[in-house]
Parts: sequence; C-alpha cells; structure tokens
Amino acid sequence: MALLEVQNLKQHFTTKKGFMGEKTVIKAVDGVSLSIEEGKTLGVVGESGCGKSSLGRSILRLVEPTEGSVKFNGQEIVGMSPRGMKELRKEMQIVFQDPYASLNPRNTVRKILEAPLLIHGTGNKKERQERIESLAGKIGLRKEQLNNYPHEFSGGQRQRIGIARALMLNPKLIIADEPVSALDVSVQSQVLNLMLDLQQERNLSYMFISHDLSVVQHVSDKVAVMYLGKVVEIADVKKVYKDPLHPYTRALLSALPIPDPVRVRNRIILQGDLPSPANPPPGCPFHTRCPMATKECAEIVPPLEEKTTDHFAACIHT
Amino acid sequence: MLLEVNDLSLSLKRAGKYSKILDGISFQVAQGETLGIVGESGCGKSMTALSLMQLLPDKARLGGKVDLQGEQITSFSKRKLEKIRGNQMSMIFQDPLTSLNPLHTVGTQVEESLILHTKKSKQERRDRVLHLLRAVGLPRAEELIDEYPHQLSGGMRQRVMIAIAMACEPQLLICDEPTTALDVTVQAQILELMNDIKRQTKMGIIMITHDMGVVAEVCDRVIVMYAGKIVEEAPVIELFQNPKHPYTQGLLDSIPKLGERKKKLGSIPGTVPTPGNMPAGCRFADRCIHAMDICRSTLPPMINIQENHQTACWLYDEKEAKNDGSARSTELETALHN
Repeated sequence: MALLEVQNLKQHFTTKKGFMGEKTVIKAVDGVSLSIEEGKTLGVVGESGCGKSSLGRSILRLVEPTEGSVKFNGQEIVGMSPRGMKELRKEMQIVFQDPYASLNPRNTVRKILEAPLLIHGTGNKKERQERIESLAGKIGLRKEQLNNYPHEFSGGQRQRIGIARALMLNPKLIIADEPVSALDVSVQSQVLNLMLDLQQERNLSYMFISHDLSVVQHVSDKVAVMYLGKVVEIADVKKVYKDPLHPYTRALLSALPIPDPVRVRNRIILQGDLPSPANPPPGCPFHTRCPMATKECAEIVPPLEEKTTDHFAACIHT
Repeated sequence: MLLEVNDLSLSLKRAGKYSKILDGISFQVAQGETLGIVGESGCGKSMTALSLMQLLPDKARLGGKVDLQGEQITSFSKRKLEKIRGNQMSMIFQDPLTSLNPLHTVGTQVEESLILHTKKSKQERRDRVLHLLRAVGLPRAEELIDEYPHQLSGGMRQRVMIAIAMACEPQLLICDEPTTALDVTVQAQILELMNDIKRQTKMGIIMITHDMGVVAEVCDRVIVMYAGKIVEEAPVIELFQNPKHPYTQGLLDSIPKLGERKKKLGSIPGTVPTPGNMPAGCRFADRCIHAMDICRSTLPPMINIQENHQTACWLYDEKEAKNDGSARSTELETALHN
C-alpha cells in the first residue's frame, strides 16, 4: 500500500472579477490522482501557474480541497476532524520555498525548532532540547548558533533550518515546495545532499515540487508533469526523461538549457505562453501550443491512460 | 576591439564607509562575440554591467578605464553618456515587469530611444517600432503597439525589452539575467531569439547569468566572477571541459546532471566573504580544498593556462608549484582527475 494516495483531487478558487463581481472559477488543481510509496520521492514539475504548489497545499489541507480524496496510510484525511488532523500533521510536514519568509524573524532558531514539539506536547524540556541539538548537528549548525536569529544565517542555512523544523516530529512524508529555487547552485547542492541523506537514514517519503527539471530528475523516483491543473504524464523518472510520451513533456525537456556547450540540441520551441488557468482552453489544455495538435484535441479532454507498463500520459496521439 | 575594460573597480558607500564591490576587473568583448559573466549572487556580475553603463548611485566611486570603440567612456560627461546609452550600448534587465513603465504603451516605450537618438519622422518611427516588434517575434504588432505592459505575458514583456534595447542598433548589448524570471519553455524562446539576433547582427553581447546551462547555450567566451574579482576566463568549451579554478570546478560539480540520479553532488563549503571583510590573499581560500599558505597571504595574479585561458590561482603558478614540492602537484593531478 502506498503511503499517500491522492484520488481525483480538485482545488478550485473563486475570484470576483471587476466591481460588480462576475465570478470566475480558477481550477488550480483539476482532478489529480497520484501516489507516493514509503521511502520514495515523487517529483512534481511544471511551469508557473500549473498548480503544483496548490496541489501540495491541498494534500496537506492547508487549503481545503474542493473535491477528491487524500489517503495517508490508508486513512482518508479529507473531511477528517481537526483533532484527528492534528495527530496526522506530525506525520506529514512541509518545507517552503522562501527561507527568508518562512522563519519567524523574532524567534531564535532554538525557539523555531521547539515550536512543533510544544504544539504537539512532545517530550519534557530536557528531551526537547536534546532533540533540537541533535537535529541541529545533522543540518550542520553549532550549538551556539541555536540562539541566533534567522537574519544571522545565509539562505542555505535557513533552508536547512526549515528542513530541521519539518523533521522535528519525525514525519513520514515531507512535501517540499520549491525548496532550492531561491538558492545559488553551490548551496542548492548542499541542501539536496542533505535531503537525500535524511531520506536514506529515516526512510522518508518526499513530494518534491519544482520547476527545475534537472533537480527533479536528480532526487526523484517517480515524476508527475503538470500542465494547467492536470497531470499530463506520470511514470518512473527514467521513463519520463528518456522516453517522454506527452508532447508537453518532450517540449519541456528539450527546452532545458544543458550545461554542455558541445551537445547538439534538438529543440522543440513552443509557441506562445501558458494560457491563464482562469480561462483554460477546451479539450486538451495543451492543444493551443502543441505541435501535434489536431481538430479532436480541441474537443476531447484526454484521460490519463497507461500507455506502456506503469507509464501514464494524457494524450490522444501517443 | 569593441569593448575594453581595464582594471575596473567600484566602491559603494555603506553605513558611512566605502567598501570595494569590484576589484581589478579587466576583459574585452569583440564585435559579434558573446561574453558570458557567471557567478553566484553577490559576486558583482550585475554591478559590473551597471558600471559599464555608468548607471550607479551618486556616491559610487568608479576606477579604471572602459573603452567603447576606442573612446574612453569613463571620462564622459553626463550628457555625452546619455548620447551613447540606448544608442551605442543598451541593456536588458532581469525583471521585464518592473523595467517597463506601466503608464506608457509598448509603442511609446520602444519609440523613446528613437526620439532621443535619431532624426526620424513620426511615421518613420512608427514603422521602425512595428518592424522591431515583429523582429523580436511578437504576434499582432499593429495592435500590440498600443497596448500596455500589464496586458502582456512575461515572455512578451521580455521581447519588448529586447526590442527597446535593439531600437538604435547598438554595438554592445548587455543582458542581465534576461531569462531568470521566465519559465523554461519561454526561456527557450528568448534564448532562440538571442541566438538569431547574434547571427544577424555584429553586435557584441555581454550575457550575465548564474545559469551554466544558459552560458553553454549562447556564450562564446566566459568570465567567472567570485567576490568582486575575476577568477577564470576561457572560451566556453574549454571552460566546461577543462575548468581550472577550484571555484569554477566546484560550481560545475554542484549542478545536477541529467542521467545521474541521487548521486552526491559536489558542494562548496562556507560562504562568500562580505565586501567589508575581504581576506588579504585569495578570496576563495577559506572555501578551497587546495588552499596553500600563499593563498591566504597573497592575492593570486591571472596566470596563463594556455592561449585565451587564464585563471587567478596559485596552483598554476610554476614557481609556487615547485616551492610546494612535487607532492602538491600529484595531489592536484588526482584531484583534477577525480
């Protein structure tokens, strides 16, 4: 059984347009199904506005999902009581993108790391301090540094503090929302190494949300590619990168600048930009930019189908 | 030579004290060449660009010489500078939304430099603007010319920025992280456009970026900067295949590569020294695995590795290598081969 099972999850936001308030519905997440196995990483990639962050947040019920089911360890969490939810939150944590905005500037690191333990009433004072100090050592902080405030740390250190905070309660699943996007490459690699080490050591599961295809490839076991609120392709990382089936995945991969000046590039240049999620095109959401699009694509919403073993794609032409 | 920069330095006033942001920056850009400037945040790459354009705060102290087509522009008056900015040299910034004026139409903004620098009539200017908008790959130019920046997507805005920069056919184009704020598929479109422009014009381009992928795609030659100094300079293929400076090596090792999964990435321990606290010797010494005594005491000069390839590192100084005994060079050899 998978640790996390998401079935047909929808996250719709209603916004009022203009003074008189004509309502529009933004389908940020529109019927996503996926699962994460214990100790494995699911990478979620896509461009801005594709709904990858909304997906992470609605799985954790940081925003209430509109529809669908999220099962953690077999337990349905959509509609679960606040008390039950609080218990479960120990098991599933989140790491945010911006290490500057996600740590309280008025608290010392020691306090920041203690907060989850206090909220969940874990351990006595001494045990809590021991736990804080052991995790601080893991992320490369010295004991004295625990009494410093977030602004005294670099971006990379702050992100490691964010990871330590997520680990305080020994969770099974961490949803990491663009955890390294704000960091320079040499620091990014430190954080990625740390995340991979921790995963091995604690058999953690990650949902790794990122726009960076090479980072996702590096950390993931399975990859889901999102476009306008829908998963268009999902499979084992090797299959997605070696043999992408959906035309969007192909274009995305070919667009990635490769740090190798002698490599020959066969680039598929997509026309235009991502359509607005408030006004997605009918039929296949990608048909307006797709080089393979035909008339049917504007009419039929392609279902996510198993094209080859364990390789799912939503395209009527593959 | 189109652009010659000689011993450029820049000091900015911070908390009542001047601190050196750039130190001893020298490089050249030839006609039709694209020079990449790479480095991590705070290394001074954007300040280098702003120094070339002389778009600096009032209290900045600029030293050294910048020659554009044989004219020393560092000695120009404000008025003379205004004549060449946007005309002989122009710049594209990272964030296309904040660098366009939200209150003016696209057409007005592209036209501005034509009004300033040319004697074209109104009709000629409009034609030229339409031509430029089409040239940068914008659809429905006739309508777009009267639209406002908020009506355009990020990729389209960056195309408008490029059109503005290209309006007077500059000899030098400085691009400061032109694709960093864009999605990959849009970034690919813009890089394609840049490569087209490169082929069609004889413009010299300076491409500032932190993304080694972008460097590999568009640059001919690359400068690597660290803490306000140039640490390595080489042709693009040479730099990727035979990086010499330990910082360049560390930078390249820390990028996740396609096809290699869950492998330990290289990383550079420690942090960049701050402008007020620069060490006496090599600025990278504290983070360098090969650091020797001399690295901490004396700033390394640029050392020739081969033609066009230089690096500021004591490891490649013949005398130093000898002084330090043969053990050092074998250690280095193994380090380089691993």
